[in-house]
Amino acid sequence: VSAAADISVRMGERAISRSETLVCFGLGSCIGLVLVDRRRRLAGMAHIMLPEPAHGEVPALVDELVGVGALRPRIEAVIVGGAKMFATASDALEIGVRNEEAVREALHGARIPLRAAITGGSRGRTMRVRFGDELAISVKEAGGIEEMIA
Amino acid sequence: MTPTNYSDLQLDALRELANIGSGTAGTALSQLLGRPVDISVPTAAALSLADAVESAGNPEDAVFAVVMPIFGDLEGDVLLMFPPADATTVCGLLGVDVTTEDGRSAIGEICNILGTSYVNALAGMTGLAVEPRPPATTFDMIGAIVASVLASRAEGSSVALMLDSELIVEGEACSLTFMLLPTHAGIGDLLERIGVA
Repeated sequence: VSAAADISVRMGERAISRSETLVCFGLGSCIGLVLVDRRRRLAGMAHIMLPEPAHGEVPALVDELVGVGALRPRIEAVIVGGAKMFATASDALEIGVRNEEAVREALHGARIPLRAAITGGSRGRTMRVRFGDELAISVKEAGGIEEMIA
Repeated sequence: MTPTNYSDLQLDALRELANIGSGTAGTALSQLLGRPVDISVPTAAALSLADAVESAGNPEDAVFAVVMPIFGDLEGDVLLMFPPADATTVCGLLGVDVTTEDGRSAIGEICNILGTSYVNALAGMTGLAVEPRPPATTFDMIGAIVASVLASRAEGSSVALMLDSELIVEGEACSLTFMLLPTHAGIGDLLERIGVA
């Protein structure tokens, strides 16, 4: 897959793919949510910024994935992000923790199993879904190398 | 780009405020480094949150960043970003090594001084009581930094107001980006004070 064909999922956006790489660049306190049906080689990605929208984003992404042919009981989730970027005294920047909790709750509510979670900490991360021989989900931390997580 | 809900007159007035704020900050930086500092004409833009993150630069590029939350009559965050090479230059001018704890605290201290002088200039002009909190420093991806600062103050709003200026140290390939990201409540009071609400 060439870089030009990548779909960049920006803050507050979501996208579905069956061939182009999906990518969330620079996730900080945001959560990158990926839902996959591996058998059908279908993936959906959402870039979630705040806890409140998270409750709507999860079912919306499930519906979109089912809409293009995913089998609902086969859908599983991977989440990345929810970092605390700044070690300030202010609670306002604890948004990452609240984002992760909201997404986990919404997945639980939708009965979607969570296959992997790379969350918390204090580093920004980029998350990708590639459609090679197998559908592969990776994370690259700021200053680190890309690692396969699911 | 998303249409703004601020008028051209309001954005012009905010740009002028940013100009005075960054002029004051530029003077402070110049005194700190003992070098002349140029200040770019600031931009003021109301952007969708995704566009605001994108406008800050390649989201995966690593930068030194310092965020200074401000409270009081004007609420928001002051965000300073130095590309690594520029942070190295600034630290070099101050005689510290950017890779050390001293270097990092020097960057934090510069932000503290610049952010405070910027905010005090705004406060002085508008008569708003502003209380800057101690800054926090990180070295990370631009996208992660800007998105997290915006998210921490988003309050369900979908538009970010960015006042963006650049300080350029003369004779050195060194510049830093300065952003004031006021909350909507903060910006309402600010517009009222300068008579363009």
